[in-house]
Amino acid sequence: MQKINRNVVLALLSLTSLVFLLFQLCYYKFYLSQKNGAAFSKIRGSQSGQDSTRWHVVRKFLGLISSHNIPVYLIDPLILGLVGKDIEQIRSSPDGPSPECKYFCAPRDFTTFALLDKTWKHEVGLFRTAEKMGFQWLKIINKDPRLDGMDDLSGVEIPLHYIFKLASHAIHLVVFYERSGNFLWHGPLRLKQHMDRKFVPFRKLHFGRYPGAYEKPELLLVSIDDLKVQIPKNPSSFVEEMSHARFLECRYREARAFFQLYPDDASLDAVEFRKKAKSLLHLAALTLNNLGVKFWLSSGTCLGWYRQCNVIPHSKDVDLGIFIRDYKADIIPAFQKAGLPLKHKFGKVEDSLELSFQGEDDVKLDIFFFYEEDDHIWNGGTQAKSGKKFKYLFPKFTLCWTEFVELKVHVPCETLQYVEANYGPEWKVPVKTWDWKSSPSNVQDNGIWPVDEWDDVIQIY
Amino acid sequence: MDEWKPNPAVKPHKKRSWYLAWKYKLMNQRALRKLCQTGAVLFLLVTVIVNIKLILDTRRAAYEEEEESAQDYDDEMLNVEVPRHPVNNKKVLDVEVYSSRSKVYVAVDGTTVLEDEAREQGRGIHVIVLNQATGHVMAKRVFDTYSPHEDEAMVLFLNMVARGRILIFTIKDEGSFHLKETAKNVLKSLGSQVAPFLSWRDMWTFVGKKGGEVYGEKHAKSPALSTWGDPVLLKTEVHLTSVEDAECHWPDTELNRRRKRFCSKVEGYGSVCSCKDPTPIEFNPDPLKDNRVFDVPVAVIAGNRPNYLYRMLRSLLSAQGVNPQMITVFIDGYYEEPMDVVELFGLSGIQHTPISIKNARVSQHYKASLTATFNLFPDAKFAVVLEEDLDISVDFFRVNSFLSFLSQSIHLLEEDESLYCISAWNDQGYEHTAEDPSLLYRVETMPGLGWVLRKSLYKDELEPKWPTPEKLWDWDMWMRMPEQRKGRECIIPDISRSYHFGIVGLNMNGYFHEAYFKKHKFNTVPNVQLKNVESLRKDNYETEIHRLLGEAEVLDHSKNPCEDSFVPDTEGRVYVMFIRMEQEADFTTWTQLAKCLHIWDLDVRGNHKGLWRLFRKKNHFLVVGVPASPYSSKKPSSVTPVYMEPPAKEEGVAAVPAVAAAEQT
Repeated sequence: MQKINRNVVLALLSLTSLVFLLFQLCYYKFYLSQKNGAAFSKIRGSQSGQDSTRWHVVRKFLGLISSHNIPVYLIDPLILGLVGKDIEQIRSSPDGPSPECKYFCAPRDFTTFALLDKTWKHEVGLFRTAEKMGFQWLKIINKDPRLDGMDDLSGVEIPLHYIFKLASHAIHLVVFYERSGNFLWHGPLRLKQHMDRKFVPFRKLHFGRYPGAYEKPELLLVSIDDLKVQIPKNPSSFVEEMSHARFLECRYREARAFFQLYPDDASLDAVEFRKKAKSLLHLAALTLNNLGVKFWLSSGTCLGWYRQCNVIPHSKDVDLGIFIRDYKADIIPAFQKAGLPLKHKFGKVEDSLELSFQGEDDVKLDIFFFYEEDDHIWNGGTQAKSGKKFKYLFPKFTLCWTEFVELKVHVPCETLQYVEANYGPEWKVPVKTWDWKSSPSNVQDNGIWPVDEWDDVIQIY
Repeated sequence: MDEWKPNPAVKPHKKRSWYLAWKYKLMNQRALRKLCQTGAVLFLLVTVIVNIKLILDTRRAAYEEEEESAQDYDDEMLNVEVPRHPVNNKKVLDVEVYSSRSKVYVAVDGTTVLEDEAREQGRGIHVIVLNQATGHVMAKRVFDTYSPHEDEAMVLFLNMVARGRILIFTIKDEGSFHLKETAKNVLKSLGSQVAPFLSWRDMWTFVGKKGGEVYGEKHAKSPALSTWGDPVLLKTEVHLTSVEDAECHWPDTELNRRRKRFCSKVEGYGSVCSCKDPTPIEFNPDPLKDNRVFDVPVAVIAGNRPNYLYRMLRSLLSAQGVNPQMITVFIDGYYEEPMDVVELFGLSGIQHTPISIKNARVSQHYKASLTATFNLFPDAKFAVVLEEDLDISVDFFRVNSFLSFLSQSIHLLEEDESLYCISAWNDQGYEHTAEDPSLLYRVETMPGLGWVLRKSLYKDELEPKWPTPEKLWDWDMWMRMPEQRKGRECIIPDISRSYHFGIVGLNMNGYFHEAYFKKHKFNTVPNVQLKNVESLRKDNYETEIHRLLGEAEVLDHSKNPCEDSFVPDTEGRVYVMFIRMEQEADFTTWTQLAKCLHIWDLDVRGNHKGLWRLFRKKNHFLVVGVPASPYSSKKPSSVTPVYMEPPAKEEGVAAVPAVAAAEQT
């Protein structure tokens, strides 16, 4: 009896094991088929069949959009990276047949193209043709941020991304919109509840994690791998631009809530000051951009952007920040040439540098230089009459683009930490009396300038 | 072991033979056998465990993948989509219609689709059109057939409704006084038994299918002149047809799909929905050479007057050089029908939550629309602003193309202050006072009604100061104020390029329209060559005026300027008259003159440094205010400027448009 039991147990175990094995196989197959063979291509490695699939899909897609006269251009960082290396050669032989498939066959899951919204008419016909050609497509729409800043406009939803999928390859079409401030914007890719989360491996997309801001690119028609396609004239610099293109939308809803609490100052003085501050900011941005100096909105100007999406009318000046590593000696002459005389210069390049320029009618432009340490960033202040030094500490931050008074400018991405460091947790409450030596919550005494250096580090004009 | 332990079940001997043989063989290697068995068991167990673990792992991995791939990309907002209309598969509709002196209502399947019990409003015949397949309300109208001509409008409307639609009629208060024979016959042809005999203060309800059966009719006669008929409540059932029967079979194109969507939702737009040979919804007007306004955004300011919007967009899309992609319609309120009209034409529309009331609501809507326009088209230096109750001249964009260029060059050549706007509208351009389609003026007033706005003017000056919602100001009046205009001028054509057809509106009614807008001249000539564009520059214009005044013949000031004989029966001459104008803001005589010439007299319009230019009997007719105008020096010393006294007080109220109060019968 014992023996038989043992055998039964043996048989049972083998059976279970077999069943599990079968189940596992089925499951594995099912799971993989869901992923559309994307994983398969990895497992099987790069095969010529897979390579040419990508090329064929791109070719089909280009055929599709050219049949509808839609001008797209290539922005795929992977391909542009490869193209960038050979750009001279590609430029010089625009029509020559290529011996091998060098770019469009490179292993990847997606090929990314850009489309300027204003250059096409949102025809439905495109998608019908796409379906006929075998493409599956997905459209991602969202609110129009250009209308988001406005009270009570039901902004129409606009298309932000399209994904066209054929076989194991997908085309990601990013829609770019023109924004005030003369730049192009693309939206974030956010899936709505009912959408197929597994349509493509979204995480591998190069665009869409965040919204992005770009300069309007100059385009070049080239023939690569026997396909005619538009690319940015300078592919490498485009890829470089892409790496820090993250865009932050102003917090319009919060700004509206703020104005509910503290109604906006609509007096003539306020209107006038805003106008002047805006033109001063435009002038400063133009001057610094020409020099290639990266700057961001700092202090009160940054608070104005973050809290109310506008210039704070009682702030009386415009504040910018610049990393000291980006300092250039021609900043002062450039501003003077632009009609903004130097008002004062405190500190020196090695320590606590701060420049002030006189704008039109008492509106002052303050430029603070920021010094990076291992775990924080700081800028300095100087009291002219006593030679006292101050230090303002900030947690580390990176820079993001935003749109402010019709300008594309940088702000710290970690704006809340930045603003809180400067203005404390009560930053939401407007304060009219502000003492730069004691009011900021991140101010520290930093000693006194040696008297023999005063002539150099305290210059007032 | 086995042989001394025979099975009690007594199995046949031979059955065990091969098995036992194998067993005995192995008995000799008992240790080995045990080892193998244990090994096998262990192996199997491990396999099972590994398998289970693998399955769990794969599942978790897959789950995580799903989570991860989504987490960055999840929309933070829960988008619960609510269907606009509940799906209704019912084949029969219960319809309830009520008619009485002070209240009417219509309920379809228990849902009230019309309810009007407001006092002194909604008098006449209410008409509701239902889709025969879905039961949705496609149109709602009220025709005040107590007043004249409204029955004609009703006939027009009923003729436009497609065959097969369900029509519901009900009378509020009084609907027969001006219901003429034609209208009664139309109602009779719809199947109404009572309509031909409808009389004073009768109550009446009727439900029928156009060109088909009658679902019910009820009527209550008014017993005497001074009383109303008893309230009438009609309850009936309507059988729905299939969707296919309710639709036309147009060829399947992009355009027709838009048309189909539109026509299944709304009624009363005439031939656009006719099954046979429908009117086009895409127009391909001639493109313009050197079109400088092709990239200029066009903002259409609209409210809830979808029929106006329809008419306006048709004329706009037919204008030469129009670029539909640049057109945005801004609707003040979440109205469906105007949006349907916008979608019919494939344009983009934006709805705006109404802020404030009356004039302030309009002015807030204007502000939002203008801001949105410049946000949506950040490259644009100008925007064309239109209203939904305007007809647009064929050469609207030609004129503006030309002028936008001009204003651009003026912007470069002269100081900013010189130009305020370019308008398609001449306030004084009536049938009898405008003549020359190629002529343009500079005027100190802002006419609106189809105009071009410069972005810098809006962004830097107007937007920051725009009247706040609590200020019940008209935006156009505000824009005309000297604080905003700052002495700048607008360029206008002699013959307007837009036509104001709206009769219903905030500041508008039939009488007002008849008096001030109906006889306005509207250009219909397509290829006019504008002649004096160079002379519109600030300084050139002065030279031009001096030249005109130099050649002008001084009229006989002893005659009455209101009389036709004041101007000789000539053609193509230039005449000048002088009126008294003590200082810049003294328009006493001008207002009286404007009144007797039957032109705009509600406030001063169309002046340029105390000079007005218009046409009388096809002669150019100049009016100079003396001594305020700098052109006063042209007055011969022998001429005494005309002075016209304002009439006594009772007419002083004319400054406010007479609002015809609805007469309660």
